[in-house]
Amino acid sequence: MIPEVVQRIPLQYYIFFASALFVIGIVGVLTRRNAIIIFMSVELMLNAVNLLLIAFSTYRSDPNGQVFVFFIMAVAAAEVAVGLAIIVMIYRNVRSVDIGLLNKLKW
Amino acid sequence: MNLAILIPLLPFLGFLINGLGFRRIPKAAVGLIGTGAVLGSFAIVLSLFSGFTGTAQVVPVYDWFTVGDFNVSFGFQIDQLSLLMMLIITGIGSLIHLYSIGYMHHDEGFGKFFAFLNLFVFFMLLLVMGSNYLVMFIGWEGVGLCSYLLIGFWNKNPEYGYAARKAFVMNRIGDLGFLIGIFLIVARFGSLEFASVFPAAAQLQTGDAGLFWITFCLFIGAMGKSAQIPLYTWLPDAMAGPTPVSALIHAATMVTAGIYMIVRSNVLYTLAPETLHIIGWVALATALLAASIGLFQNDIKKVLAYSTVSQLGYMFMGLGMGAYTSGFFHVMTHAFFKALLFLGAGSVIHAMSDEQDIRYMGGLRKKLPITFTTFLLGTIAISGIPPFAGFFSKDEILAHVYEHSPLMWGLAVFGSMMTAFYMFRLLFLTFFGEFRGTHEQEHHLHESPLTMTLPLMVLAVLSVIGGFFNVPEILGGTAKLEQFLDPIYQYARQANPEAFAGVHLDHSTEFMLMGVSVAGAVISIIAAWVIYISRKSVPAPDEQVSGLQQVIYRKYYIDELYDAVFVKPIQALSRFFYSVVDKGGIDRFGVEGVGRFVKGLANEFRLLQTGATGFYVLMMVTGIAVILVYSLRSLIFG
Amino acid sequence: MLSIISLSIFGIVNLFLGFLKSRRILLPATLLFLIVALILNSMDWNQQALYFGDMLRVNNVFVNFAGIVLITALLIVGISRHFGNDEEHTHPAEYYAILLFSVTGALMMIGFENLIMLFVGVEVLSVAMYVLTGTDKRNIRSNEAALKYFLMGSFATGLLLFGVAMVYGATGSFKLGGIASYVQMASMYGAVSPLLYVGLLFLFIGMLFKVSAAPFHFWTPDVYEGAPTIFTAFMSTVVKTAGFAAFYKIASTAFAGVYGFWAQSLAVMAVLTLLIGNITAAYQGSFKRMMAYSSISHAGYLLLAVVAKVPSSQSAILFYSLSYSLATVAAFGVLMAVSESRQFEGRGDDRYEAFNGLAKTNPLLAFVLTVSMLSLAGIPLTAGFWGKFFIFSAAVQANLTSLLVIAVLMSCVGIYYYFRVIIAMYLKPAEGEGISVSAGFTLTLVLTTVLTLLLGVFPDVVKNIF
Repeated sequence: MIPEVVQRIPLQYYIFFASALFVIGIVGVLTRRNAIIIFMSVELMLNAVNLLLIAFSTYRSDPNGQVFVFFIMAVAAAEVAVGLAIIVMIYRNVRSVDIGLLNKLKW
Repeated sequence: MNLAILIPLLPFLGFLINGLGFRRIPKAAVGLIGTGAVLGSFAIVLSLFSGFTGTAQVVPVYDWFTVGDFNVSFGFQIDQLSLLMMLIITGIGSLIHLYSIGYMHHDEGFGKFFAFLNLFVFFMLLLVMGSNYLVMFIGWEGVGLCSYLLIGFWNKNPEYGYAARKAFVMNRIGDLGFLIGIFLIVARFGSLEFASVFPAAAQLQTGDAGLFWITFCLFIGAMGKSAQIPLYTWLPDAMAGPTPVSALIHAATMVTAGIYMIVRSNVLYTLAPETLHIIGWVALATALLAASIGLFQNDIKKVLAYSTVSQLGYMFMGLGMGAYTSGFFHVMTHAFFKALLFLGAGSVIHAMSDEQDIRYMGGLRKKLPITFTTFLLGTIAISGIPPFAGFFSKDEILAHVYEHSPLMWGLAVFGSMMTAFYMFRLLFLTFFGEFRGTHEQEHHLHESPLTMTLPLMVLAVLSVIGGFFNVPEILGGTAKLEQFLDPIYQYARQANPEAFAGVHLDHSTEFMLMGVSVAGAVISIIAAWVIYISRKSVPAPDEQVSGLQQVIYRKYYIDELYDAVFVKPIQALSRFFYSVVDKGGIDRFGVEGVGRFVKGLANEFRLLQTGATGFYVLMMVTGIAVILVYSLRSLIFG
Repeated sequence: MLSIISLSIFGIVNLFLGFLKSRRILLPATLLFLIVALILNSMDWNQQALYFGDMLRVNNVFVNFAGIVLITALLIVGISRHFGNDEEHTHPAEYYAILLFSVTGALMMIGFENLIMLFVGVEVLSVAMYVLTGTDKRNIRSNEAALKYFLMGSFATGLLLFGVAMVYGATGSFKLGGIASYVQMASMYGAVSPLLYVGLLFLFIGMLFKVSAAPFHFWTPDVYEGAPTIFTAFMSTVVKTAGFAAFYKIASTAFAGVYGFWAQSLAVMAVLTLLIGNITAAYQGSFKRMMAYSSISHAGYLLLAVVAKVPSSQSAILFYSLSYSLATVAAFGVLMAVSESRQFEGRGDDRYEAFNGLAKTNPLLAFVLTVSMLSLAGIPLTAGFWGKFFIFSAAVQANLTSLLVIAVLMSCVGIYYYFRVIIAMYLKPAEGEGISVSAGFTLTLVLTTVLTLLLGVFPDVVKNIF
């Protein structure tokens, strides 16, 4: 059973909205140079996915999608911890989180 | 686990131990390990042989690889033929290992020598035990490699190295033929297993064109390994190796691999009479040419080497007549007496402080009584005097040859007269008359130690009685070997029954043939006696030899001929290719061009890796976009 | 299945071992843990079963892939002798624990039956690798590698998840079986949802990133070069094996029904991967960076087997992964020994020149590296030859002739750069002293060499298991 509240908005809207959010995240990763903001953009992408999963889950009356969202949130938290640690480590060494400065490894 | 697997494994273990522990294991242990390994194999072969029921069996070791339907397994074929070969290899092999303990005792490469020798035995066993042509080929290549290593064992001398290279190159030419033959077999039969090729071949017609090429290519392989015209010149040069090597590899075992291979493939050859015809004539020519060169050689080992080439010719002659058993019988007896002769020569060389020229020997029979006695027995055996081993085997071949063509028989008998002559010439010059060497050498003369004389005695006994394994019916025997080997001709018989009808000569003709060949041998011996004992003549020093004799002494200038006809033009051609075609053309536009192109491309590709994360992500996103648009083009563009 | 559980527990135990004063116990303990896991893993042989609410499938394929991963991890731990050089700043217990956790992740990727499990496995493996890449905290190159890996890796995770969500939207299931049955039905009636196509592409792209296939390979050279060599070895073997196990599983089961849709794009990417990997490797001056590109090129060969998608692809991938892992561990092991004892521009020398004359100073190391290079180049009598042979014969079965031609050409290019180091070792004069290495290290390297040669001579012994 799909709740009526949800039904008022067609599934396509959710898909387009989530996809737009996802693309915004990608563009953020592409254009930003600050590691933290890039990271935030990635988080945005993940949240777009969460939204998508919940929408599908609700429309199909299948709890699996929502369970997956919990997994994503948990794992994303772990990723945040590691990611921030790496960024802090870099900041300690070069006093900057600008990824443009990181080009020792190339060619 | 089948015991058969242990047979090649033991020598291989010996190789590993002696090879890895080179210079670390004491000499006594090295000899013990090396000899023990082969002796152990011999014991296993004996037990297999005594428990052999008469039915061939294939011992699968493991599946090697499978490509589609084509499966090559690594397996051992245990049947009459391979058992006999294994007996020869491990039996004579262990005697020669034992001999080497004494002979190589002062050599600093003692451990290395035993390691190589064990490795050789391993590969030789693979060759004869393999249940398909590929395993045989591995053994075939392996023994070639070991032969190369052992000929050039004393590699400090560049000439020995050159001899080793020559052997290797000539063998490679033959191997190429063998390899093409194997490919042809795969193409024709879709398998390399003896057990599936032979029954399939038995269904074919006699004179099948495909079979002709298969058998011919295989014979080219045999030419290289078994030193037949035109690929024989490496064998005399191979005498550069230590004498036990010459005895084991270049007399008793490796050089007979070609004969083994043809006997093994008897069904193919039976169905290809043209090839047999070619083999017969090539073999006869080889036998005569080598025997005539042997007449005037002065190096004790060279005489034996040419004699080996000539005897191999006789074996192939037997095969060419379709008399596989006779050929193989000669392999056996030859293994006995030629190993004996080589080891005897080694004993002489050992006593003579490495002198090999018979012009500087003489009168050694008193100083080296055991060597002399055994050498004498070997010489009688090879000359074909009854009832020694050589008589029976050679006579059987000659009978088959006579049936085929009396002309060939006449030439073959002439060849065997030459054999008797040069062998007794060798014997008389070495052991009779006065000592012609230096005083120092004379002072050092001594009989060899027991490790060396014991193998001589064993082989001498075998040379005397070896012939009784296959006494023909006419002489009151039962042709045991013939009956024993009969099952391996099963498919050939099925395909072409006439080829196995046996000798049709009546008894008086057969006795006549025997009489003629024995008489010929005796005449030769008397001639040698007259020249070298009564008249006490000694071959002239090198520079005084002239005329026809010089042509023969110089081995008909075959080496020089090959040099002028093949080596020099190829060198010139390769120089031309190198300087003009390769440097100018291929290198500039081909190899180097491709190289430069790749490097230039690499440089461009490399620069893509800018090190900037933003750029990487951009490239990834571009990639995603391209993939999406391309894959979903029908959805997007309708 | 017990192997996964036991490894998770062992990882935690390892963390506690870090409290002990003596750090010497860590290495043997980790080895022991891995061996126990290997034994538990082999107990699953012929025990088909589903675990964790049908999220994990244990069968012989799982046991084989897991076996390869565990053996590789064992060998890598065997050559990991230098944790703890710098007493103050290193935490060997944590490194070993994370190593065990990442192996757990790899096993989950291999055995997944549900996309949730795949995601968790990928993340456990990846997050662990982000940390390990940055373990050399004072080294700016290690830092840079870690950040690049992390940013791009999490970006790729986003792509993967987007794909999973879309596939879920189309099929309503995370299970491989559910997806497969939808795909089969839908393609039969010609009514495949566009969501599935989009999802499939993103899912594949996420996986292709993990196995570093072009054009998603850009992180690979930089990260491999910057990471401590021991973890580079880990990344290029365990991560790649697990990645291909997962990728092949998802492509050949869930999306087999729409093979026509993805095969062509994947074939193009395989070619691109082969070209970029091999050709760029030819220009490198650093051995380590060359190995990174070479690992890209090997991903290309493995992709070939995925594109072929014939029944024999599976065993070809298995054999190739095994032979590649053995050779790679040996190569990085020797590189570690060499670059630690020879300095260049203030850090370990990983250029080709560092290997000059190694055959004279350390013949054993030179031999190990030679066999490894021969195997990577696919020369007969080494395992690598058969790996390529099986992959190529799978490609032949699928009639991928043009791909095969490119692959063979590229493997010729491979010979050029692999042999460069052999030439340097045997023909160039020696510079500097011989390198002294511990017995355990030597033993591990010799073991890889022996295995490589054994597989080269007796390929069917292992091939029959796969």
